[in-house]
Amino acid sequence: MSQYKFSERSEAFCQDMFQQMLDTSDAIYGILISTVDGHDVSKHFLKEMPASKLSAMMSSILALGETIAVEAQQQRCRYVIVENSDGYILTLKIKDKLILSVIATTNANLGMLHSVSRNAAEKLAAHLR
Amino acid sequence: MPEIKLIITGPPGAGKTTAIEAISETPPVRTDTRTTDDLSSVKDETTVAMDFGEITLESGEKVFLYGTPGQRRFEFMWKILVEGGLGLIILVDCSRPDPIDDLKMYLENFSDFIERTGVVVGITRTSEPDAPELTEFYECLESNDRVFPILDVDIREREDVALLINALVSTLEFSR
Repeated sequence: MSQYKFSERSEAFCQDMFQQMLDTSDAIYGILISTVDGHDVSKHFLKEMPASKLSAMMSSILALGETIAVEAQQQRCRYVIVENSDGYILTLKIKDKLILSVIATTNANLGMLHSVSRNAAEKLAAHLR
Repeated sequence: MPEIKLIITGPPGAGKTTAIEAISETPPVRTDTRTTDDLSSVKDETTVAMDFGEITLESGEKVFLYGTPGQRRFEFMWKILVEGGLGLIILVDCSRPDPIDDLKMYLENFSDFIERTGVVVGITRTSEPDAPELTEFYECLESNDRVFPILDVDIREREDVALLINALVSTLEFSR
């Protein structure tokens, strides 16, 4: 099956961006870029997690978030946040075809996590043409 | 008022979203996103979470229709969507390389749900040159110890979708 794949240069850019995010917040332990239809493209995980399964799930949850926003007569869905007893999972669109997901412990300040994720998404969107 | 939750499943492109669109009395809820893999040669968008629509039967019963994503990587959604479901419609697309194998796959993956509910199989695009005969689908069911109604349908037609739903509801009433 042919799947969306980054060039070596883009992959290197992503890994550099992931490292900057990890350096900004030590609560972050997983960063994943996947396609809107649920394939994993690039990742940096500090612990073992199933990237392909998570990619499909992130695709579903973001699509549901966008659909729920429309049904509730609200405008564009910016993030979907899953807040758990021991961590956060924040998902947002990078551009039309890609999704960025950031997984962190509760040591993260949610505002900070927002900011780090949004900045990364903007830089990735500008680079990944 | 009594409510019935039915699930529509089948491979990508079989017409699950189209079926719900064709029959829903309310604007259907869709979670389509752009396709980025091989499927993009067949369709621009694919369902990644669920479709939802509703109809009212002549008896006054409300039927809630939930369409699943077709791809196996969304298997987790299949498990979520069947919760509280009363019946299953499996759509099989004869334009795909191996429709019989597709049917087997959905019978296997929904086997727990099938054990406790009713099923109707809708065969689509039967005019395709290499489409199996309906008897081959019946043989497939028999070899899996299953006996379900199989209907040749054009999923774009409201009447055909209604036929599938009525057949399933009748099956459920018969087995009560």
